[in-house]
Amino acid sequence: MLLEVNDIHVFYGKVAALRGVSLEVDEGEIVALIGANGAGKTTTLKTISGLRPLSAGRISFQGKDISRVPAHKRAQLGIGQAPEGRGIFPGMTVEENLLMGAYARKEDHSKDLADVYEMFPRLAERKSQFGGTMSGGEQQMLTIGRALMTNPKVLLLDEPSMGLAPMLVAQIFDIVKEINERGTTVLLVEQNAHQALQLAHRAYVLETGAVVRSAAASDLLHDPQVRAAYLGGDLGVA
Amino acid sequence: MKGNDVTNNDNGTATGNGNGNGVKRSSNPLSGSMDRMRDWWAGAPQWQRWGVYVALIVGALILPAPWIGAFMSPDNDWTTVLFFPIGVYMLMAIGLNVVVGMAGLLDLGFVAFYAIGAYSLAYFGTEYGWNFWATLVIGVAITAVSGVILGAPTLRLRGDYLAIVTLGFGEIVRITANNTDEIGGARGITNVPHPPDMFGQKFLFDPAPYYYLMVATIVLAIIFSRRLEISRVGRSWAAIREDEDAAELMGVPTFKFKLLAFAVGAIIGGLAGTVWAGQANFVAPNSFPFILSATILVAVVLGGSGNLPGVMVGAFLIAWLPERFREVQDYRILFFGAVLVLLMALRPEGLLPSRRRRAELAEGTGGMGSMGAEVAGPTSDPDMEVSK
Repeated sequence: MLLEVNDIHVFYGKVAALRGVSLEVDEGEIVALIGANGAGKTTTLKTISGLRPLSAGRISFQGKDISRVPAHKRAQLGIGQAPEGRGIFPGMTVEENLLMGAYARKEDHSKDLADVYEMFPRLAERKSQFGGTMSGGEQQMLTIGRALMTNPKVLLLDEPSMGLAPMLVAQIFDIVKEINERGTTVLLVEQNAHQALQLAHRAYVLETGAVVRSAAASDLLHDPQVRAAYLGGDLGVA
Repeated sequence: MKGNDVTNNDNGTATGNGNGNGVKRSSNPLSGSMDRMRDWWAGAPQWQRWGVYVALIVGALILPAPWIGAFMSPDNDWTTVLFFPIGVYMLMAIGLNVVVGMAGLLDLGFVAFYAIGAYSLAYFGTEYGWNFWATLVIGVAITAVSGVILGAPTLRLRGDYLAIVTLGFGEIVRITANNTDEIGGARGITNVPHPPDMFGQKFLFDPAPYYYLMVATIVLAIIFSRRLEISRVGRSWAAIREDEDAAELMGVPTFKFKLLAFAVGAIIGGLAGTVWAGQANFVAPNSFPFILSATILVAVVLGGSGNLPGVMVGAFLIAWLPERFREVQDYRILFFGAVLVLLMALRPEGLLPSRRRRAELAEGTGGMGSMGAEVAGPTSDPDMEVSK
């Protein structure tokens, strides 16, 4: 198992955000984490990447317990996260942003940079533009590209489709698929459950800080309960 | 990876393309001519840059001339004013700029390091009779350590919480000095040693040698902080300032680098204190009020936080304007405040901001790094994702 999250509890002050979330991600998978706003999806990702401390439970990565390892060390171990929304460096150019991704890497990373530019030609066009002046969709691509530059073994994607036009959403999902096919494991948080389930191999449904369902994505896609709650009833799935 | 493969973007040189990075050019004439100057600077060959450096240093050396002083400071001795407050403020602003401008940490107690630097010289100079230069070295070490001592427990805080704790630290240092008889209590320490003679200059009551010493210290501080800024350290600071979480995700040990920023800022602030105490001959807790921390912060923000020439211009104005307009004694603080409010309303990015800083501001939420309150941006704050 590449990543194992075992019964983690996370609090914001006295409020429990996660109460016993467990999940597993195997090498090569795309795993989706779906759920309503406030269910704890982002918190789960942040706890895995180390931005949030956990108060109980255990996270292991490649068999090693990383529950107390600081976030920057986890990044170096191979956990890459593309934060939600505008988590870019606004005062750095696109290229500087991408090179920040390679910050902790000692080996040559010029090929990865070329790969990212190939995957996101838009970023190549805007190399020398400041990150903060780009559109929402471009910033989204930049966070993904930057996370790829850390050469992650598992890529945590937080709402990559948020606030994007439908055409861009489809494009982003294609790219996620491509990233996975190139060998990177993906843990994907999405409110856009329909598309996430079509893309993912397996999925977990999160409700008020706990996992309520986990199954193969295709099963969830046809599950009446899940469809009623997250897929807008009978709309969507043909 | 190679340490320097991201060119620092402050002068628009990232790709040799000054115009293409998408920050709107202001129609404001000040910004317009500044942009032109930046573009020229970015493309200027090495010898021209050196020419500018030499001209600036020569300018600084002839600045105390009486004919300049007649206009700049008709009421007080110009050279004295140049040393304090102008020189001291500039040096402190360069130090605070490392903390606030580069690492984006709001420090409201910066005067503490200035005080510690001054007291180091006063204490070791009078108690043990140590020479100015020896205490300068000791003072630097002590201030660096005190920066770490302040930082280690507090740097896990962010934004306004950090500001409150640093404010407290500034007060603690002053009040401790006030209540410690060992270092003179409220009466302070007198007969602080002057620096020994150097290059035939005697450091006594003539302010000129102190001024030259100050110029030399400022030049060193500029080189030091500029070298840091364009290094991997500076890049780490920029990342922390712009988005601390994202920096962690990139593998930047943010805590370590924030601590380093505090230590470097403290060293420069401490230097200012030591050099000042060498001239003042007398240190007492009253010389280190909170308002001085606030004033230096104003200098940094007003001048253009993060941009060295900017913060130096800011410090110069903050130090010089009240001296120049002494004739309106009773109203000068009012007038000064009004100017600040106006400037911040019209030019929130400061007088001479870096391009990078303007881009940060343009983005809307992260303009001051983690300075100030952490207000939810246009997109909802993910930290609020809390289950009931």
